[in-house]
Amino acid sequence: MAQTISPSTVDATEVLDVELQNIVKTFGEETAVQGLNLQIRQGEFFGILGPSGCGKTTTLRMIAGFDAPTSGQLTIQGKSMHGVPAHRRSVNTVFQSYALFNHMSVWDNVAFGLKVKKFPKADLRQRVGEALTLVQMESFAKRYPTQLSGGQKQRVALARALVNRPAVMLLDEPLGALDLKLRKQMQVELSNLHQRLGITFIMVTHDQEEALSLSNRIAVMKDGQIEQVGSPNEIYEHPNTAFVADFIGDTNLLSGRIQQHPWTLTMASGLQVNIAPTHLGDGTPADISLRPEKIQLMAQDHTASPHNHANHHQGEVKHTLYTGPHIHCIIELTTGERLRVLQPNHIRYQPGDKVHVAWAAADCQVLAPSSSP
Amino acid sequence: MPPRLSRNSSLLPNASRRRFLQGSAAALAAVGLSNCRRTIGEAEPAPGDDTTASSEASGVLHIYTWADYTDDELAAQFTEATGIDVKIDVYDSNETMLAKMQAGGGDKYSLIYPSDYMVTEMIGLEMLTALDKSRLVGLDKIREKWKSPVYDPDNAHSVPYSWGTTGLLYNSEVLTTPPTDWNYLWDNRDVLARKMTLLEDVRETMGAVLSSLGYSYNATDAAELEEAYQKLLDLKPSIASFKSFGWQDELLSGDNLLSMVYSVEGIPVSLENPTFKYVIPESGSSVWTDTMVIPSSAPNVDAAYEWINFNLQPQVSQETVERLFFATPNGEAMAMLSQDLLDNENLFPPEELLAKCEGIAPVGDANALYDEYWTKVTSA
Amino acid sequence: MNKGVEPSVGFGKNFNVAAVQQKLRAAMAPLGLLGPAGLWLVLLMVLPTLLITELSLVPGLRPGEAIEGYGLLNYLRILEPTYLQVLRRSATFATGTTLLCLVLGFPVAYWLALMAPKRWQNLLLVLFILPLWTSSLLRTYAWITLLRPSGVINLVLSTLGLPTQSLMNTSWAVYIGMTYSFLPYMVLILYASLERLDLRLLEAAADLGANPRTAFWRVTVPQTLPGIAAGCLLVFVTSLGDFVVPTLLGGPSSMTISRLIYNQFLGVARNWGFGSALSMVLILMVSVAIALLLKYGDRNPDIYS
Repeated sequence: MAQTISPSTVDATEVLDVELQNIVKTFGEETAVQGLNLQIRQGEFFGILGPSGCGKTTTLRMIAGFDAPTSGQLTIQGKSMHGVPAHRRSVNTVFQSYALFNHMSVWDNVAFGLKVKKFPKADLRQRVGEALTLVQMESFAKRYPTQLSGGQKQRVALARALVNRPAVMLLDEPLGALDLKLRKQMQVELSNLHQRLGITFIMVTHDQEEALSLSNRIAVMKDGQIEQVGSPNEIYEHPNTAFVADFIGDTNLLSGRIQQHPWTLTMASGLQVNIAPTHLGDGTPADISLRPEKIQLMAQDHTASPHNHANHHQGEVKHTLYTGPHIHCIIELTTGERLRVLQPNHIRYQPGDKVHVAWAAADCQVLAPSSSP
Repeated sequence: MPPRLSRNSSLLPNASRRRFLQGSAAALAAVGLSNCRRTIGEAEPAPGDDTTASSEASGVLHIYTWADYTDDELAAQFTEATGIDVKIDVYDSNETMLAKMQAGGGDKYSLIYPSDYMVTEMIGLEMLTALDKSRLVGLDKIREKWKSPVYDPDNAHSVPYSWGTTGLLYNSEVLTTPPTDWNYLWDNRDVLARKMTLLEDVRETMGAVLSSLGYSYNATDAAELEEAYQKLLDLKPSIASFKSFGWQDELLSGDNLLSMVYSVEGIPVSLENPTFKYVIPESGSSVWTDTMVIPSSAPNVDAAYEWINFNLQPQVSQETVERLFFATPNGEAMAMLSQDLLDNENLFPPEELLAKCEGIAPVGDANALYDEYWTKVTSA
Repeated sequence: MNKGVEPSVGFGKNFNVAAVQQKLRAAMAPLGLLGPAGLWLVLLMVLPTLLITELSLVPGLRPGEAIEGYGLLNYLRILEPTYLQVLRRSATFATGTTLLCLVLGFPVAYWLALMAPKRWQNLLLVLFILPLWTSSLLRTYAWITLLRPSGVINLVLSTLGLPTQSLMNTSWAVYIGMTYSFLPYMVLILYASLERLDLRLLEAAADLGANPRTAFWRVTVPQTLPGIAAGCLLVFVTSLGDFVVPTLLGGPSSMTISRLIYNQFLGVARNWGFGSALSMVLILMVSVAIALLLKYGDRNPDIYS
């Protein structure tokens, strides 16, 4: 899938489709979303990622118009959505449960939005036909939702939303109910659709792999706030916080204090990690994220690493986990820390093997100190 | 085979010219789908059950009657006098009673109280025993008019028990010109607009209209009936509703000004509240008689004779009238009544007026016509 | 209900008694459940209906008479204008009551099911159904007290200086009385249907551009159509046969088919043949109503998974 890597920051000249400024949403005592700021570009595939309860669905519902923000500004295509109900927004949603009208046929479901707008018959027929062809459901036009499988319902839901040619498409965990194989297949289809139509897609998901593979940019949310916004690559390679680092993929989190000249992170155990220069001052407590695949694993007697990494340490293999394409090894360093290392599946180590680990200083992502202990 | 006698009773059971339990019991009866049953005495059979007819009157006497003709005191007096236990069941219409008797559910009753026309019908159906006059004491006290009534010549099967009339009960404060005859209703229909009720009884109401035209209450001529129907239809816009019971509230509250009522219900109201007066129309109204008969299926005939004789005693008759308030055909009892009651012309109308009042008799095949006209009137 | 594999019965020396017993039990189980109701249905409904059918075919049958011949006279008589008028009136009352109950009941049921605070839902529902626990006769009498010229409603109106009403003894009073009587049934049935409404469908409709009114007609109503049909059916059938309200509230022009039937059996006419024929017509009217409304209520059997 071709994916454009877009810069994470948006400049003033760009066309924004959706903009949220200081959005707060409270439900009684509970604050679901606090002080959210988001700028989504026209035509991009924007993923909102986070664990359950982080407020991502609430955010999506506010964009759709099902819930109104308690305070803050929400604009779509430059127009404020304050007081604009859902049925007057040029936004269409694909629901997690599909929400197909089971008293209508597939055709009628897809045609619904157009019928409501009193589209002329001939045009309506053409558009609905197009939409169904787009999702490869033309032969199911006369069926009823209860006669469809999960994947088929999914596609009808997509067609029903797309037929209206909205400015923004909202997808609420659209692939959540599908099995793995179907999910992967639909991911490809979604991406293709997005490419073809050029509509802004905003997708909410808790599946980070999905977000990474489909989105142009991702916003990672936690407890009603955005932790980080960036391209998948940025989010993955340069997470800002421990949460983001941990939520996306696997990582090794190391805590310690920054030391300048040379730049190291000194851990409580005494382990010194060489890092790239950072803006944090001397003695500042900080966290580092180190991705398992960045760590090189060698037999103990290898002292020279081919890549000349700054960090070398000895350790012992504690566990190995075979996951098919990879093997995860848990290595315990002599200083006591445990690191997770990713190995290709043909290199077999056994628990108890003495090994040599190495990684580059640049691969140590210094994270903003976490506010929570 | 005796000629087929069709019913000429009223439409709803309680529409028949009888009294009913007041208040909500009347409401229940209104639905007309259930008998008001009230049994006095134990539910278990008393010793010496009535199934064995003994020469000595004893055991239990089952009576089937109208609600207000007997009360606990009367039953107690009888038991004290004769030693026979009395069990009383009540009905609210002749039809209900007949249906039960025909269906076999009335086999335990030794005494029932059919109305005049029903006596004729039951004689025809061979459901009544011929009375052994030698066993009856006090028949001679019955007034002349009832010695050999139309419905049962010579009182061969029945003993008259009570009688009454149908008349108009009106609000004398508002209707300063009092009604004297049926035609008053038509003449004053503007004043009475939707403030009058007529009986929900096809024979009574049609009979009244027939009377106002100078015809008999028991007309069978199709032309006469058609004329009556048209006249009734003409009056319809002024009629609030057809009601045989439950008219009290609306009359007393002033919603209605005039109601066609049975004497047994109308007269007590007029006595309690002088604003309301009861009048029997001059051209003649209907007069009804309720009788005591012994059905041919009676199990305890002896006890039945005892009961009849007991009630024929002037003393008993007089006391019952004063307690339960209906007109008695018992001449001697009448003589013993208080002057107030005797003077009450509503209760005991003068002879000339009484002569003009007709008993409602069976009309045979004309029943179908009556029913059809009634349907037309109430669905127009 | 037997689950699992039933052992085969076998033959001769392989005869499996336990298997036979199991098979018998399996066959008898539904009988045990259906038996009493089935018996009741046959004895108290099927047989009497057959009897009435026979009686209806005897022209002018009087009670106690022997059946001399059969004919369609009774049915032909129903076609006379007098009697058609009665049928028409009954149908009008029933239809009017059904529509009134629907129009009034739907908003109530909607509010109860979708807008009332969840804590109060059950209590409110009970409160609404409470009148059903009283006798319908007493409720009708209550309306007399309200609607009378000197009744409560006029008392309030005149106190407020407003013109008084004179609805008593008119068709309007009948509609009021019957609607009041049957409204709880309609509300109850609609409530059950609305409660199961998937609100996300309404969101989807809004999302696709339907304003609340459009969403109501295109989504809510079709989704609750079975409930609407069931409620209408119940109200129509019961009001068609209603006896009490037209009699007490309807005034002098309130003859309905049930009253007419009653008159044939227990009134002056004593024409059981005609009465039976009218009863059959009533059954026919009810059956037609059931067929029509079932058709609407069950449009697509497998859409409600």
